[in-house]
Amino acid sequence: MLAHELFEVRSMLRKQGIIFAYSGYVTEAVLSGVGDAIKQKLLFDDANTKTARSVFAVFVEQMQNMIRYSAETATAGAASSSPNGIRYGVLTIGQENGDYVINAGNLVQLPDVDRLRAKLSRIRNMNKEDLRALYKEQLRGDPGEGSKGAGLGFMEIARRASKPIDFDFVDVDDEHAFFTLKASV
Amino acid sequence: MRKLYIPASSRTPMIDFDFGKNHLKISGESYPEDVTEFYNPLFSALDAYLAELGPGKSCRFDFELIYINSSSAKAVMMLMDKLDVAASNSANVDIYWFYDAEDDTMQELGEEFGEDLENAKFHLEKMHG
Repeated sequence: MLAHELFEVRSMLRKQGIIFAYSGYVTEAVLSGVGDAIKQKLLFDDANTKTARSVFAVFVEQMQNMIRYSAETATAGAASSSPNGIRYGVLTIGQENGDYVINAGNLVQLPDVDRLRAKLSRIRNMNKEDLRALYKEQLRGDPGEGSKGAGLGFMEIARRASKPIDFDFVDVDDEHAFFTLKASV
Repeated sequence: MRKLYIPASSRTPMIDFDFGKNHLKISGESYPEDVTEFYNPLFSALDAYLAELGPGKSCRFDFELIYINSSSAKAVMMLMDKLDVAASNSANVDIYWFYDAEDDTMQELGEEFGEDLENAKFHLEKMHG
């Protein structure tokens, strides 16, 4: 029974073409470790250099987004916004019709949904040239309120992707929605 | 300081700032846990060096980056800006951006940085071997 249950999980992932799945608290050390395994797998797959680097680049941006922004946190008694807390996220890497697909999901606060949706819709609908222009503008600009990086992560993902990015939100309770971002390389 | 050397780690590039020879180099991959913590000492060292680099003096900076994450891109832009300011104060600054021929993403990124330079001379080249 024990083996059966976990094997079911594995089979379900396999059926979806998933070769890597991580669900849990994410830290920079997890990024390093999982990242190394992904690099090795891409090498064994004989993926071309550009594809391998792009898959890795999308993975890094997706992981860092969850590490910094997931609204599901664990802290040592302090408030949930404590900078020392660790955050929960789900990341999968799989293959779909010849593409590598990197999906990431985490909880977000409901009031942030509209802002994220607007930002991602804008990026999704841009061609490569417009993305390039926006990226350059943002590189020189202010990262924006609440940003913990350069504010370039979603654009970097969209630029590395071979198809338009896809995203979705589903409400999970009175305060949170589950956010998913999909990128194909 | 005549030289600042930091070996590469799995997430940070090799830094080889040979101030004595006016030849500075950054090479490898850059996706540090904490971009500020890694790059701030480099900014300080570069500022101190450039402040001493008088008019007519020459300096060369090589970027040989395989992969950089988006936070590092901002840090690279800041390095370029500092070099461009030094060039506007009549130092001769040559910036070389070497890219892997198998990954045009880094070539494009180099072009984007190069477009913004007003005074430093920018050279875009394929990596050797």
